[in-house]
Amino acid sequence: MSQFTTVTVPKTDTVAIQLTAPNQVKLSGTITQKDPSNDLAGFFKALHTAALADKLDEVRADVSGLTFVNSSAIRLFVDWATWLKNERGQRYTLLFVTSRNVTWQKTSFMALMSLAKEVLKIEQVS
Amino acid sequence: MSPFDRNPPRSPPAHAEATRPGQPAPGANDPAPRTKTGPIGGGGNDPAPRTKTGPIGGGGGSGGNSRDGGALVGRSLVRLYCNAGSSALEYTHAFINAYAIDHFRGAVAQRLSVGAYELLSNALNFGSVSSDILLELIEAENIVGVRVSNEAIQARISMLNEHLLKLHTNPEQTFLDELRRSVTGGIPRPMLGLARVAHEAGLTLTLNVQDRRVTVTAQCRR
Repeated sequence: MSQFTTVTVPKTDTVAIQLTAPNQVKLSGTITQKDPSNDLAGFFKALHTAALADKLDEVRADVSGLTFVNSSAIRLFVDWATWLKNERGQRYTLLFVTSRNVTWQKTSFMALMSLAKEVLKIEQVS
Repeated sequence: MSPFDRNPPRSPPAHAEATRPGQPAPGANDPAPRTKTGPIGGGGNDPAPRTKTGPIGGGGGSGGNSRDGGALVGRSLVRLYCNAGSSALEYTHAFINAYAIDHFRGAVAQRLSVGAYELLSNALNFGSVSSDILLELIEAENIVGVRVSNEAIQARISMLNEHLLKLHTNPEQTFLDELRRSVTGGIPRPMLGLARVAHEAGLTLTLNVQDRRVTVTAQCRR
């Protein structure tokens, strides 16, 4: 049984989160709370752990509908990439699905790629 | 006083630098960050130290040569007061974001939204609780911007000054460095917010310090 799909999705005021496939999570809305790690850090960590347990080849994180995030939220994505990069043994590729039309996504994920290109991929959608 | 004070008189706000017709805006043609510390004017009768660092970021990383790097003197569309340490960030940003979307084209609204959030976040986190924080959304003929002013301690002002100088030198590299530091931590704590404003949003940053009052402006072409 997939552990990934059974991860508990946190309820937050401004961001909608869906697990849409055995290897896909979709986030939309905005992340503006001062410390989003309270809601999201544990969730991302649980997804990471589940993906390793499920021996997934790829995890798709669709953030194309996230129109605004604060810098604390960007750190959460950096953390996720870092956990994966530091993983010894079998690991998955983390694919961020981003939007060409959302400015923060272009620069932040390009920068993130330069920090952890061996474990990340970026797909751009309109 | 209502926190939302829209459409005040068209005179420049108290912290703006006056520009006369035919006179270049202060800093408009000045490619290098300038720092002045010490008495200014009055033959030394003014003991207040002033620091002025300007324009940083924007214009595709060309730093101070950015064409939108002059001092922003224009009409305040929104003036909003709040207090350091308050929880004003989220709802204030929601308002500014909605206002910007309603008044400016999408790309400009997105850029101002980032600028407003990060500047206000810094002011709320590091500003002195003994005085108001003022956030303004300002429009001039070709330029729009967000300006936030607050009081801060000298150590914080020095740190801000150094950080802005780094951003002036290389916004992209500074953004990367801060992103990296956000993983490793360190002292001073990572300052990704202003790096986002300069690199990601491409806004030109200017800093003006009078006594302990810090004014940071982030602006771009409309």
